[in-house]
Amino acid sequence: MTENARLIDRQLVHRCLAGEPQAERALYDAHVERIYRLMHRMAGDADLAADFTQEAFIRAFERLEQFRGDSSLATWLHTIAVSVALNGMRKVKRIRSRTENIEDTPDLAARPVGFSGDLKLRLYTAIDALSEKLRPVFVMHDVEGYTHEEIAGTLGIPVGTSKARLFDARAKLRLALAAFAGDSIA
Amino acid sequence: MTIDKDDRADGMLIEASRDYNAPAAVPRDAMWARIEAARKSRLAPKRSRWIWPSAAVAAAAVIMAVGVVVGRRWERGSSRAGLAANTTTAPATTATGPESDASGSLSYKLVVQKHLANSEALITSFRSAAKRGEVDAQLRDWSKDMLSTTRMLEASGTSSDPTIKRLLSDLDLVLTQIKLYTARGTNDADDLDLIEESINSRGVMTKLRSTLPARTLPAGT
Repeated sequence: MTENARLIDRQLVHRCLAGEPQAERALYDAHVERIYRLMHRMAGDADLAADFTQEAFIRAFERLEQFRGDSSLATWLHTIAVSVALNGMRKVKRIRSRTENIEDTPDLAARPVGFSGDLKLRLYTAIDALSEKLRPVFVMHDVEGYTHEEIAGTLGIPVGTSKARLFDARAKLRLALAAFAGDSIA
Repeated sequence: MTIDKDDRADGMLIEASRDYNAPAAVPRDAMWARIEAARKSRLAPKRSRWIWPSAAVAAAAVIMAVGVVVGRRWERGSSRAGLAANTTTAPATTATGPESDASGSLSYKLVVQKHLANSEALITSFRSAAKRGEVDAQLRDWSKDMLSTTRMLEASGTSSDPTIKRLLSDLDLVLTQIKLYTARGTNDADDLDLIEESINSRGVMTKLRSTLPARTLPAGT
C-alpha cells in the first residue's frame, strides 16, 4: 500500500467520522463492488450476498473510529465482510442441514459426463465442501484474483499460511475431481 | 504426479472455477438505501428510548435522597422545638407536628410519583422489547436501578397510604422478575408469560395509571 493511498484512506475516514454523508457514500462506492462480488462468491446467493454486504458496511461505519490505518481501508473492510460472511454461512448451513433430509439431493453420478457442464457442477460442489479455512483462500485467490498479501491481511494470517492453504485447497479439489475426470485432472 | 501435471491441473481448476457463484450486477443503490435505514433505526431510537429513563432514574434517586435528608432534618428540628416548647406550653407540639408531617409527606409523594411514572415507562418498554426479542443490557441496568429505588421507598416506611404500599410491593415482585429475565438474556417465552401474569393478576399497569396524575406520565409511554 502506497503512502498516498494510506493518506486518502485516512482523509476519507476522517470525513466520515466528522459526519459528512458524501464521504460515507464515497467510501461505500469505492469498495462495494469488490466486497459484494466476494460475498456473492462465498454465499452463492444474491440475497445473502446483499445481506452480508449491507451488514459489513453497517458494522464498518459503526466501528470506523477503530480504524487505525495499519492496513488499507480495503483490507479492513474485507476483514469485517469475510467475518460477517463466515458467521452468516454457518447459520445458513445449520438451517440447510436441518432440511437436507427432507429435500431431494441431486444425484451427480447419474448425470452424463462432460467437462463444461457436469465437471463444473462437481467442482462447485467440491469447493462448497472445502473447510472454512481453505474455502475463503481458494475463492479469494483462484476465483476473485486477490493476492496472497491481500488474503493474509484480510484473514489475519501470514502470507505463507495463505499459500499453504491454497495448495491444500487445490489438492483437495483435484482429488475430488479425479474419479470423475480421470487422469486429466488427477 | 509431476509438477507439470499439477500446474496443468491447477490451470484447469482455476479456469473452471471462474464461474463459481458468479455475481450479477451489484445492487448498489438498493443496498445503500437499506444500510442507511438500518443505521438510522439502530442508532436513533435506541438513544432516545433509553437515555431519558436512565436520566429520570438518576433524577428520581437524587430527589428522593434530598427529600429524605430534608425530611429528617425537619423532623429533628421540629422535635427539638417541640421539646423546648413542651417545657412551656403543651399546644406548641401539636402545632409543629402536623406541619413536619405534611412537608415530609409531600417530598415523599413527589418522589413516589416520579418513581411510579418511571416504573410504568420501564414495564411498557420491557414488554415491547421482549416482544421483539431485543432485551438488552440497558434495560437490565434500568430494571436493576428501579428495583433498588422501589426497595428504598418500601424500606423508608414513610407512606401511610395502603394503596401505595401495596403497589410498591407489587412493583417489587414484577421488577424482580424483569431484572432476572433481562439478566439471563435468553428470551424465554415461559418466563415472559410469568411476568405478564404477575403484571395482569395484580393489575399493576391499571394501578400505576390510576395513581399517577396525567402530567407526571413520561412522554412516549
